[in-house]
Amino acid sequence: METQSVIQIKNLTKIYRDFWGRKKVRALNSLSLDVKKGEVFGLLGPNGSGKTTTMKLLLGLLFPTEGEITVLGKPASDVSKNEWIGYLPEESYLYRFLNAEETLDFYGRLFDMSPQQRKERSNQLIELVGLQNARKRQLKEYSKGMARRIGLAQALINNPDLILLDEPTSGLDPLGSRDMKDLIVKLKNEGKTVVMCSHLLADVQDVCDRIAILYAGELKELGRVDDLLKEQHETELLTSKLSPEAVADVEAVLAKHNAKLLRHGHPTNSLEDLFLKTVQKSQERPGQRFVPAATEKS
Amino acid sequence: MNFDAKPFLLFSNIENGLMHWLLVFGSFIGVIFAASILISLGIYGVSGPVAVVSRVRQGLHDFVNSSPKRIWAIAGLTIMEAVRRKALLVFVVFAFLMMFAGWFLDSELRADLQVKNAVSFALTTVSWLTIPVLLLLSCWGIPEDIRVRSIHTVVTKPVRRNEIVMGRILGFATIAAGIVAIMGIIGYVWILRQVPNNASLICRVPVYGTLQFLDREGNVADKGINTGDIWEFRSYIEGGSKASAAYKFPIDAPVDRIKLESRFEAFRTHKGRMGQSLLVRYVLVNPTKDLRVPLDSFEIKEFNLNEQYLERKLSFYDEVRMEKREVDLFDDVVDQNSLTIEVQCLDVGQYLGMARPDFFIRLPDRPFAVGYFKAVLGIWLLTVFIVSIGVTSSTFVKGPVATLLTFSLLIIGQGFREFMIKLITGVQKGGGPIESWYRLVTHMNDTLELPDNIGIKIMQGIDNVMLAGLWLMQHLIPDLSSFVMSPYVANGFDVPWNVAIFRSLAITIGYLVPCLLVGYYSLTLRELEAK
Repeated sequence: METQSVIQIKNLTKIYRDFWGRKKVRALNSLSLDVKKGEVFGLLGPNGSGKTTTMKLLLGLLFPTEGEITVLGKPASDVSKNEWIGYLPEESYLYRFLNAEETLDFYGRLFDMSPQQRKERSNQLIELVGLQNARKRQLKEYSKGMARRIGLAQALINNPDLILLDEPTSGLDPLGSRDMKDLIVKLKNEGKTVVMCSHLLADVQDVCDRIAILYAGELKELGRVDDLLKEQHETELLTSKLSPEAVADVEAVLAKHNAKLLRHGHPTNSLEDLFLKTVQKSQERPGQRFVPAATEKS
Repeated sequence: MNFDAKPFLLFSNIENGLMHWLLVFGSFIGVIFAASILISLGIYGVSGPVAVVSRVRQGLHDFVNSSPKRIWAIAGLTIMEAVRRKALLVFVVFAFLMMFAGWFLDSELRADLQVKNAVSFALTTVSWLTIPVLLLLSCWGIPEDIRVRSIHTVVTKPVRRNEIVMGRILGFATIAAGIVAIMGIIGYVWILRQVPNNASLICRVPVYGTLQFLDREGNVADKGINTGDIWEFRSYIEGGSKASAAYKFPIDAPVDRIKLESRFEAFRTHKGRMGQSLLVRYVLVNPTKDLRVPLDSFEIKEFNLNEQYLERKLSFYDEVRMEKREVDLFDDVVDQNSLTIEVQCLDVGQYLGMARPDFFIRLPDRPFAVGYFKAVLGIWLLTVFIVSIGVTSSTFVKGPVATLLTFSLLIIGQGFREFMIKLITGVQKGGGPIESWYRLVTHMNDTLELPDNIGIKIMQGIDNVMLAGLWLMQHLIPDLSSFVMSPYVANGFDVPWNVAIFRSLAITIGYLVPCLLVGYYSLTLRELEAK
């Protein structure tokens, strides 16, 4: 059965013009793509490739020059669609004179939520993004990471079906970044659709089901992450530690099948995994320190 | 006293005003709609006008489905923003002024003038502090939201653009209400402390009539005599002649006696009776019954108030019947609910000057606080008007331009509207802008006729186009003079609801509606990027 499309973009073109109506930049050129319900979709591309423009067109913040956009079955300009959408902007464009509680209360009021609902939801979200100790501080006193967290909380205030995240891990430390990615996966497991744009490729690879790669406003690649990354001409085996003799035997077997061993060695963890493990250990055993080898000898 | 409370009869004027408003507003909407249809047709073909109509329908839908909760949420945000950005520091300035103002107000003046100065100072301070603060806040709010893009987190919620405009206006109007109310109360207490022992705060309730002059032959005239004063506020009647000024006052219900109050001005052509003032007489007239009831003559107090009482039963000597008669003020003199009183000057060769507000029936006084807080209400209404214009203009231009635009409208509406009308109607000599330049450059007096040649004709043609533009502007720029109510209170009068308050309220509402429309479409049709 065909999965329902949450976002449909057809031949979308966006041209920025100057004050006199002259063409300045063609930010998007005939972009067409669908985002299915329940998937995590990533928009990738270098700076100026049209990711944020696409996001803003989806939200009705910009108007398309040509083409059609349907979000949750409604035109992008239809305000009522926003009832089921959550949006985390690239920078946390929030009201800096409000504190976390007031921020969430304000955005909750924009959804006509009752005071009780707002209070419960605010507490829940503040806990979710880990800002319990900063809930009464004005946002102007927040670090960039904290601002991202409260930005995320406001995007989730209405328990949205579709969540648009513009550079969600930007400004976050590895722990925060991991929390964000875990949260995206959790949202997906709850049946939500997430569209994120980022140029942090590892983050996208970790959480996205499908991706689109944009370059100079044009769609260059679209598909499932697994499919796109799969190297069809090579095979990867992971075994327990092999002796040099065993490696030689494997090479002989491979030669028998007209193949050769391209690389062998010990697999490495990602730096992110190492960092997270180290932090976790430090939390478990706060007194433990790294002692450099030279110091150990002396 | 030199102000004239322009009559504003609530229902008849509302009807005329509403018709005028519908005409101007309808024309404005009509022109914009027609232009949109034509332009969109030219650019996009048939789909253009369809899109325009769709936008109009969408607008109606958005206004009908506006959520009061969301509007109030945005209003609340606006209030919090103003408070956190320290807009309330204005109270510090106010407190400072109030603490030391007493030192600089002249205590050597006559007691009633000291009261007048204190009341004027308090009300002027409230308005001069409130208006600039709200002007800046309202003109910078939305542009700042767009610049820092915090508006992105609002418009991506189910918030309609009109709700943003309405919420902003409501928020600023609420702040203004709070500031004006607190300052008003402090100002009131301050005035009570400033009143000298030999003076009191009064709030007279006048009933003004209409004024009709009769010339020295007793014939109806447009005006009295001009004694050479450039300021034509007052007209003069000649003493010892048939010249008179007939005031016609509306009378609601019979009372035991009526208090009359006047403040006339004398113009002397000779010294007259030494040590005595001009002799004046009131004559009550019922034209239907052909009844004239002359009252006892009296000397006017120049530069001061004259107070007389009309008793219900009046006895007088009837010069026609040559007998003493007694009449009932309401049964015999009042004619069709109006009382006509002719004012005559009895001194030959002297002139008595008067204007419509110089003579009135004085009803029982109200507490001073009533008039004072009505004037405070007037300041708030003016602030709401400014906020509406400021917020609306800030939806399509940046903060500094919106401030300048709103400020210009305020200045023209309060001070230059009459000049503008004089220019349009040709009362102001010197022609339009080009002709004025021509006269300046050629050192030509504005009373001299221009030469008759093609150049002058072209110049006047351009001027006429400009004056037509000015004529259009004159319909769009409001008359804000009615918002200034402090002269009433300072001169010891109550602020009349129908003359000042309802008029100001009507102007505010009249502008609020188009402001909401303009603000809505401006935010809807633009991309909310900080570019």
